[in-house]
Amino acid sequence: MTDVEQKRRFDKVDRRALADVLPVAIPAVPFGFVIGVGITEAAMPAWVGWLTSPLVFAGAAQLAIITLAGTASVWAILTAVLVINTRHLMYGAALAPAFRHQPRWMRWFGPYLMVDQVFALSALQVDRSPADFRRYYLTTGLTLFVVWNSVVSLGMAIGAVVPDNWRLDYAPPIMFAGLTLFAIKRVPAGVAALVGGFVSLAAVGLRDRLGIVVGALAGVLAGAIADEYMRRRADRSQADTGPDMSVGSEASP
Amino acid sequence: MSTSSALFVVIVAGLITYVCRSSLILTLADRTLPASVERALQNVGPAVLAALTINLAVGSDGIGSVEFAEVAAIVVASMVALWRSNLIWTFVSGMVTLWIVGAIT
Repeated sequence: MTDVEQKRRFDKVDRRALADVLPVAIPAVPFGFVIGVGITEAAMPAWVGWLTSPLVFAGAAQLAIITLAGTASVWAILTAVLVINTRHLMYGAALAPAFRHQPRWMRWFGPYLMVDQVFALSALQVDRSPADFRRYYLTTGLTLFVVWNSVVSLGMAIGAVVPDNWRLDYAPPIMFAGLTLFAIKRVPAGVAALVGGFVSLAAVGLRDRLGIVVGALAGVLAGAIADEYMRRRADRSQADTGPDMSVGSEASP
Repeated sequence: MSTSSALFVVIVAGLITYVCRSSLILTLADRTLPASVERALQNVGPAVLAALTINLAVGSDGIGSVEFAEVAAIVVASMVALWRSNLIWTFVSGMVTLWIVGAIT
């Protein structure tokens, strides 16, 4: 490979995406180790357990497969996987507009990499140009794919190495709290997040992380209601010629 | 579990996961949705991220299992996120708070 080719290849990597993906990849390390150790103890051949990493590429679903194998029926395991993954439908709905301007190969390949972290980071980048969004998405997705498959394999080979008292198990909610706040750019989105958070708290006891889906649906509904309310109020203030509407008219272009 | 049924589970689980991730992207990609649906989709990200955060923070053992240090870590990390809009600072401040408050309490 010539220097020019090498440089061009490096330009395809979004360096900002690399900086963003680093803190979300670190908490994935101990979880990957847990999965790796779990695979060696699961009631299935280790190589089949390892295949969950490249084929399923979803930590919670992989954990369900390897822990339920041997105790639950095939269909019970697959139902658990389906329920755990329903949140990915919502990720797809949220990112669909950003994928509309992507080439066909990207629409088919991109979703394969769409883990929680990739969704959370790239949902903040939907206003970028299609080429920039693609670079960002693929850089974060492929980095997490490589990190995840490496740590699961290492976990299988050498066992858990990160001490529990480092508390890296609590890093994901800390990261997602920050990403939630970054994603709120309008009042209805704030309402959606607030209601989504509270409802998922009330529904936290539901099995298979269903509380996430219930909370998210309630949040989206509340956000839509808030949006409609604000639009109606804006329409009314435009139609109204009363003196107290001067602030509203200043804000409009 | 036999090798063949384990292999079946893993392959079908991979397909289920891919279909959950790709179906709406592929079906919504070639059509324009009503403006109200497009606006509602903008709220999916914040709603699902907030729900995910709370679900992960509380865990499956319920709200009684949440430690004071964990709440403090989320609060400090959220304030730093609003202040700096930077993910690395958010991560570092939350983890340091978790360690310090966890050691004290």
